[in-house]
Amino acid sequence: MSRLRATVTAGALAGCVSIFLALVGLTDRFADLYFVGDQASFGRLMLVIAPFTVGAILAKPRVEGGEIRERTAGAAIGIGALAGAVAGLLLGAFAVFVSAFGVERINAVFVNVTPSMLEFITFGQPVVVGALILVAASTVAGAVGLGYRLLPVAVRKPVGSAVITVLVLGFLQRIVPITLDQLDLERNWLYSRSTGGLTWFGAGVVAAGAAGLSIFKQRKGADIRRRLSSRGTDDAGMNPLRAILLLIVFVILLAVPYVTGKVISEVLGTVLVFALLGLGLNIVVGYAGLLDLGYVFFFAVGAYATALLTGATLNTFTGSSPPALSADLNFYLAIPIVMLIAAGAGVLIGAPVLRLRGDYLALVTLGLGEMITVLIASPWLVPVVGGPNGMRGVSDASMFGFGFRDPQHFYYLALAFVLFAMFVSWRLAASRIGRAWTAMREDEQIAEAMGVSTTRFKLLAFAIGGAIGSLGGALFAVKIGSLTPASFNVFVSIQVLGIVILGGLGSLPGVVVGAAVLVGLPGLLREFEEYRLLFYGAALVLVMLLRPEGLIPNIRRSRELHEEDAAQDKWAGELAGDEHAAVGVSPEGESAG
Amino acid sequence: MSESGVAPRVADVRLSAFERIPWRRLILIVLAVVMGTVVVVGTYKTLTLDDAFSLEGWKNLVVQGIAQGAILAMIALGYSLVYGILRMINFAHGEVFMAGAFISFFFIDAYARSGFLNQSPILALSIVLVVAIVSSLSIAVLLERLAYRPLRNAPRLVPLITAIGASLFIQNAFRGFFGAQPRGYPQPDVLQGTISILGVDVRRVYVLVFIVAVVSMLVLRAFVARSRTGRSMRAVAEDREIASLMGINVDRTVRTTFALGGALAGIAAVLYGLAFQQVVFTMGFRPGIAAFTAAVLGGIGSISGAALGGFTLGILQAVGPQLFLSGFGIPSPNSVRDAFVFLVLVIVLIYRPGGLLGVSDPEKV
Repeated sequence: MSRLRATVTAGALAGCVSIFLALVGLTDRFADLYFVGDQASFGRLMLVIAPFTVGAILAKPRVEGGEIRERTAGAAIGIGALAGAVAGLLLGAFAVFVSAFGVERINAVFVNVTPSMLEFITFGQPVVVGALILVAASTVAGAVGLGYRLLPVAVRKPVGSAVITVLVLGFLQRIVPITLDQLDLERNWLYSRSTGGLTWFGAGVVAAGAAGLSIFKQRKGADIRRRLSSRGTDDAGMNPLRAILLLIVFVILLAVPYVTGKVISEVLGTVLVFALLGLGLNIVVGYAGLLDLGYVFFFAVGAYATALLTGATLNTFTGSSPPALSADLNFYLAIPIVMLIAAGAGVLIGAPVLRLRGDYLALVTLGLGEMITVLIASPWLVPVVGGPNGMRGVSDASMFGFGFRDPQHFYYLALAFVLFAMFVSWRLAASRIGRAWTAMREDEQIAEAMGVSTTRFKLLAFAIGGAIGSLGGALFAVKIGSLTPASFNVFVSIQVLGIVILGGLGSLPGVVVGAAVLVGLPGLLREFEEYRLLFYGAALVLVMLLRPEGLIPNIRRSRELHEEDAAQDKWAGELAGDEHAAVGVSPEGESAG
Repeated sequence: MSESGVAPRVADVRLSAFERIPWRRLILIVLAVVMGTVVVVGTYKTLTLDDAFSLEGWKNLVVQGIAQGAILAMIALGYSLVYGILRMINFAHGEVFMAGAFISFFFIDAYARSGFLNQSPILALSIVLVVAIVSSLSIAVLLERLAYRPLRNAPRLVPLITAIGASLFIQNAFRGFFGAQPRGYPQPDVLQGTISILGVDVRRVYVLVFIVAVVSMLVLRAFVARSRTGRSMRAVAEDREIASLMGINVDRTVRTTFALGGALAGIAAVLYGLAFQQVVFTMGFRPGIAAFTAAVLGGIGSISGAALGGFTLGILQAVGPQLFLSGFGIPSPNSVRDAFVFLVLVIVLIYRPGGLLGVSDPEKV
């Protein structure tokens, strides 16, 4: 009986999520973004994604009274279908309600409830028919979601990766075709000119390819990974396979801007700037465990210091005027000074507040970040930083007459900075400083007792993290060429925090992936722009609830977060006499030093 | 580089002269002196300016500050209650406030257009108040159930990050629902105009704000001190585990706490709407931070502390920038008003983390 209730509750939750997506406007906004053919759009996906997910979650075997209750496939799929049906009924009821109450009247409150939205969710049919179609679709989605989880792994993985690849390629429909054009490759077989999405033929080919790859990985993956991780015969040299792989990655990285064109290079430049900020914050939050919510401080310091040092001028109503304090240095001479200034600022703001407990520190840093954003915009500092009008004429960092303002050129400059920051972070993590940070993060009192001077290492984290973050600011100034206070607000801090957390605290590849997902995707898809912060918020909450170690976890960090689970698994393992259960975290997570 | 930072073994500790200086304390003292000088000199200069504010002007600023402070105090109570019980900063509390303001807007707007608001303002405002309370309360309770309860035993920063995410999520969900443009919150005719109290012309809304805020804070205080639920709240705040051993339903008590905080935020939301006459989806952020500052200023975890902090910060915020800064000839000192709030937060946390009424410093690890 309680099973039934849980299923209905889950279905109702899914229904609420579907209604939420419709009310927020996501369903309608993605109505015309087709991934395959002229019916399967992301808007339609929004209608069934919640029941599908709930079905997949319900597939988890229930533990009752210490026993795992397996269900027969038929009963299980029935459960999924029931949850889906409940969800569909709710959404259908919503549609009927909207049409009965009057779209215009609801539209006065909920701005996204429009006739076109109603038409879309009822499939262009009369409302009741549309609602019935919704129920049917939801039921199927719930059943499919559950059924999918019941498939044996050997089948599930290829099917999953085929579907995901098709969805991703469909999602990237403005980028991949441009890239294909740039490379002079035929695109019409893959992307349809009329709908924008994949053609059925293209989708089939892509799905088959992805499934094939997945099967190949299943069969040979372990073998390849072993070969990659083992060192070559002589200790000094690298594994040749690995070296080749690295070389390929490097060549791809270098070729990207010219393969993909200006528009994408522009977005990639922004991604790299944020990756740089993320790397800096990663030192403060990921390595040293100090939550800094005011990271925009260093971003602003870096940008404005670079502008002032490279001879930018203040915007005024009549033209421009020189700032009260400035120098006209070469960009590459200015950079070390900028970093020093930022590190000094880090120490200065860090010194008084470092004895505060973690969450207080977070709010103080938030306050400092807000203070700088208010200050640079205030009329008070107009003679120094231009106030609300900002500055212009930042150096384009040219080297032997080769300027970096152009997005395709800027990419290389940013890439070099990111690689530098990654190298520094990587070496720091393995050094005594890095180990001191780890000790401090795990238990401050014990670290202190073991002779780690926590104040000093906290300051060091702030200084280094700040210096790297200021590089992000400097690059931003070079990229844009002019500065306005509007670019420096609390959302920069939150965005960078989101990047570091989504990718995985303390994980360097994680930062890059986080930046690509949180900055790259919204930059590439204009449909997404409006919902970016909604997505950030949801991502932060979901990551913390479901996977606090992030997408690409740092192994030590994830052990800290799962200490309890690991202890429980160990205990359970001892009970069952099963050694495998004692492994709390899979070793695959080891990706950062 | 890698060697220099680690403290040497105990045997060869010989502090250099550089290290023997208590840097932290030194910095703090210097900072305090600098800030004290700025305040004193600024005040003196402002008061002796040729075109100085009249006494009337200052009085008006103080009244405005008290009204703002009353609203801040009510939001601050939400932070304080939750902090007292869970030792957690509910970063999304500003959004709870925003939700109450936004949802009640649609009701009061409809009433204003149908004329109901001016025909029977008391009834209309009561309904609007109930709507705001219910919406803020439900958001607060939902937030606790979905985002915080699963993380109650997680490392400290995890719920804080969740709270930031939740704050962002709620804010943008409301933007999605109701649109991004600010909306004018109507005011009944009865509340327009001023009345004279002790020789000062006070806007009528401010009087309402003050009375409602003080009454609801007194009610809350009595509730926590006298009622059975209030007693279990205090017990859970003292020690969650022992409270649960004593038969207190911790989950329910925590939920009640969030509900109380939400209800107060709902009341504050209506008052804010009536006083400042605008709602927009971002309106929760700055008042949220200011209210948190107020809670810390008064001593987080204590009810009277939140009230005291709210009023103090409200007045400081209204008067401070004018009084301290205009003497230095800084143009439009009110533009740095928000920075001023943060400055107060930073200063309180540095010098007196326990707050004005703080019984004990919050442990610092």
